[in-house]
Amino acid sequence: MANELDRPMVYQIRLKGHLGPKWADWFGDVTITLEDDGETLLTCPVVDQAALHGLLRKIRDLGMPLIFAIRVKPP
Amino acid sequence: MLAPILATKLYVPPAQHGAVLRPRLIGRLNEGLHRRLTLVCAPAGFGKTTLIGEWIAGCGRPAAWLSLEEGDGDPARFLAYLVAALRAVAAGIGEGILDALRSPQPPPTEPLLTALLNEIAAVEDDFFLVLDDYHLVDAKAVDDAIAFLLEHVPPEMHLIIATREDPRLPLARLRARGQLSELRAGDLRFNPSEAAAFLKGEMGLDLSAEDIAALETRTEGWIAGLQLAALSMRGREDVSGFIRAFAGDNRFVVDYLVEEVLQRQPERIRSFLLRTSILERLSGALCDAVTGQEEGSGMLEVLERGNFFVVPLDDKRHWFRYHHLFADVLFAHLMAERPDQVPTLHRRASEWYEQNGLRADAIRHALAAEDFERAADLVELAVPAMRRSRQEATLLAWLKALPDELFHVRPVLNVHYAGTLLQSGELDGVEARLRDAERWLDESADLRGRPEASSARMVVMHEGAYRRLPGSIAMYRAGLALVLGDVPESVTYARRALDLATEDDHFRRGAAAALLGLASWTNGDLEAAHRSYADGMAHLQMAGYISDAVGGSIALADIRIAQGRLREAMRTYEHALHLAAEQGEPVMRGTADMYVGMGEIHRERNDLEAATQHLLRSKEQGEHTGFPQNPYRWHVAMARIQEAEGDLDGALDLLQEAERLYVSDFYPNVRPIAALKARVWAAQGRLGEALDWAREKGPSVEDDLSYVREFEHITLARVLIAEHRCDRADRSILEATGLLQRLLQAAEEGERPGRVIEILVLQALAHHVQGDTPAALVPLERALTLAEPEGYVRVFVDEGRPMARLLFEAAAHGILPDYAGRLLAALEAEEDRSEDQSHPPPALPAQSLAEPLSQRELEVLRLIAQGLSNREIGERLFLALITVKGHNRNIFRKLQVRRRTEAVARARELGLL
Repeated sequence: MANELDRPMVYQIRLKGHLGPKWADWFGDVTITLEDDGETLLTCPVVDQAALHGLLRKIRDLGMPLIFAIRVKPP
Repeated sequence: MLAPILATKLYVPPAQHGAVLRPRLIGRLNEGLHRRLTLVCAPAGFGKTTLIGEWIAGCGRPAAWLSLEEGDGDPARFLAYLVAALRAVAAGIGEGILDALRSPQPPPTEPLLTALLNEIAAVEDDFFLVLDDYHLVDAKAVDDAIAFLLEHVPPEMHLIIATREDPRLPLARLRARGQLSELRAGDLRFNPSEAAAFLKGEMGLDLSAEDIAALETRTEGWIAGLQLAALSMRGREDVSGFIRAFAGDNRFVVDYLVEEVLQRQPERIRSFLLRTSILERLSGALCDAVTGQEEGSGMLEVLERGNFFVVPLDDKRHWFRYHHLFADVLFAHLMAERPDQVPTLHRRASEWYEQNGLRADAIRHALAAEDFERAADLVELAVPAMRRSRQEATLLAWLKALPDELFHVRPVLNVHYAGTLLQSGELDGVEARLRDAERWLDESADLRGRPEASSARMVVMHEGAYRRLPGSIAMYRAGLALVLGDVPESVTYARRALDLATEDDHFRRGAAAALLGLASWTNGDLEAAHRSYADGMAHLQMAGYISDAVGGSIALADIRIAQGRLREAMRTYEHALHLAAEQGEPVMRGTADMYVGMGEIHRERNDLEAATQHLLRSKEQGEHTGFPQNPYRWHVAMARIQEAEGDLDGALDLLQEAERLYVSDFYPNVRPIAALKARVWAAQGRLGEALDWAREKGPSVEDDLSYVREFEHITLARVLIAEHRCDRADRSILEATGLLQRLLQAAEEGERPGRVIEILVLQALAHHVQGDTPAALVPLERALTLAEPEGYVRVFVDEGRPMARLLFEAAAHGILPDYAGRLLAALEAEEDRSEDQSHPPPALPAQSLAEPLSQRELEVLRLIAQGLSNREIGERLFLALITVKGHNRNIFRKLQVRRRTEAVARARELGLL
């Protein structure tokens, strides 16, 4: 349903390379988890699709390799 | 005046001294030179800009360069920059576009681009157009404009787009047609030997092959990564140790390296880098203002020399920018370390920009600082210039970025908001904002405080604007009411606006008088309409809006035509053309509309050749010289010429096209295209379709009559007469005569002889179809008497054979025999021509198809067989591509084929070609 996606959601985004904790503010309100395999998991609450695309654009602008992005149920 | 153009955005980056030469990539770029587009698409830090700069320098072709920014998605701003960039290779190009953009009513983008493409095709030398950082423009309007440019680009220009993400252009199609040359991240990565050359040559590091290989692997050939690595290795004793640590670390390359680089800088450099990271452009003075220090220029020089990702933006080394990626990372550090400083830094930047007259940048930084009061002040001051330069999209974005409560204490800004919304077609909220602003206009209270808002103080930036507020509010209400169809209300407000405007406020006086004229026109009060509208145009002319005064002549002439004053209408057009010509080159906007209008009058006088010439002239000099209504009016005029020439299918196609292009632009729709189509159907005997029109659009014989619907009612009478002609028993003729009698009375009372003539002609035909010729001659005589002095022909000749009989009778009875004789001669010439066309026998070949091809489809099929492209067919038949494709689809379906070649073969088999 379209309007379901317009509600606040939590996305997990996996990036290649470890990202320092200071990036949490730059990305907005995200939780940064460093994985053992050298990848970073961003857990990002987003208010809607536009916010999600804004986040993806920031990742693009950093040139960080994006491995995947999935929607997770809010805890 | 258009907003100032920043020269720094047009600067072609020179090839960097000592940069790594990349012959393998240059070779590939050269191979793609004959294609339309070179796309260099890779993430940040892959050396896109540097590579293109090197290519251009080596290639020796001149280049028009445009570095895009976030805000460039506003189509008006984009076009202004595009023209400015092109002027680097072709001085003076695009003057017509800039002129059109300055007008209160800019045309849509496509005609402007068409005009620009014509100018580009005239450029002598081949050249590049580079759009750098294309990803920063996130606007469909710009994507569409570039797609249009690409589709029509002349071979003189080669387009290069550098971007971080695939642009929304039809890339797959360009690839399939071999029109696209691409370099992507995989191509741009440094290979090991390039990495070695870069580290040694450009960065001056002497590394072992093993170290280079380790760095290359760790950064995966990412140039920004290698450059950062080199920066952080400078002056280190144990370089190999650093490389081992770096290679063994999982951290994101930039993250790791910037940290290393920053740690090794003296505090003043480090703090300079962080604090200036909020800036899109850097100059010594601006950096000083933001940092509060006084060493900006020197610092920028040091950074540039040290390869700190500082890119010069001009030859004088006055303006620089950070490499975008580097700036992002610095900003992240700033946000992490000193988030409290960020608003202050933005505010300082905003102040500097304001002091230096760059208001748009000042507003951007004020919004970034979330200093909305300041931003609102600046926006309020910027409005007039933004409106004049047609940057309404940008203006609207600013207004929408401001918190709504600010507008409650800023009546001037709120009224500007309402006006911008009205102009952008967003009608919701216009009235609420006007009403909110009005609270502050209570004369009993003093300027600075209002009883109902005692806690809030009114904010007004410009006393004059506040004084003009009641007039502005009334003007926008008049416009809103007119758009919503409430004519009496529109008149009330337009009058009020006129009363409130001062003598010398020509813009407001002109706009209000014009609105009043449009309202009177809608009511059918033509003399008053002409008076007010002419007055409005005179004021607009005095306010300096010459082209709008020229364009407004179509309304004045339309009114004169309805009044049956063709000569005066013609003089109106001629006078406007004269006024336009006085302004000199470039061709003034509005002239295209004049030629179309003159073409219509020539058609009425049956000089079809002159009519066609005028329409072609209108088209030739470029659609950008026309106002928004012109494309649809052009198609209506051409349709009526084709109708007069007997090509009714062609006329219907053009009317279809006109419907698609229709824009009212506040004008009353006194000649709806649907009704014009119904007339053609009635003439073709397609009564079912004509009656469907009447059912759908709803004119009926019982309606109360009004001027806006007069044309529809006259059309209905025509359809009813045609119906009776098919089926004598039909009651429709009684309905038609009753309706015509009422229409005649209304048109006479409204003093609209132009309409009276047509109604009388129909009355004559109605009598004739009932076999009562003597009765028919009564209205015919009156029609001829009214029509002769103005030289009408088509209004009679269009009626064909029945009219020929009546004119013959009239002449025989001594009723205006000379004039009747001339009309008869025209009718006979027409009959001869149509007989010529019907020999040799039927134009439609016998078709053994289940669903035969129409005349029009056969025509299109013949052009296909001649090898014309869809676009060429469209140009030949004055149709849009989409209409041609529609015909193709029908042809393919009827012939049961899938493509053009099969269609031609099948048609030959069937003997259709």
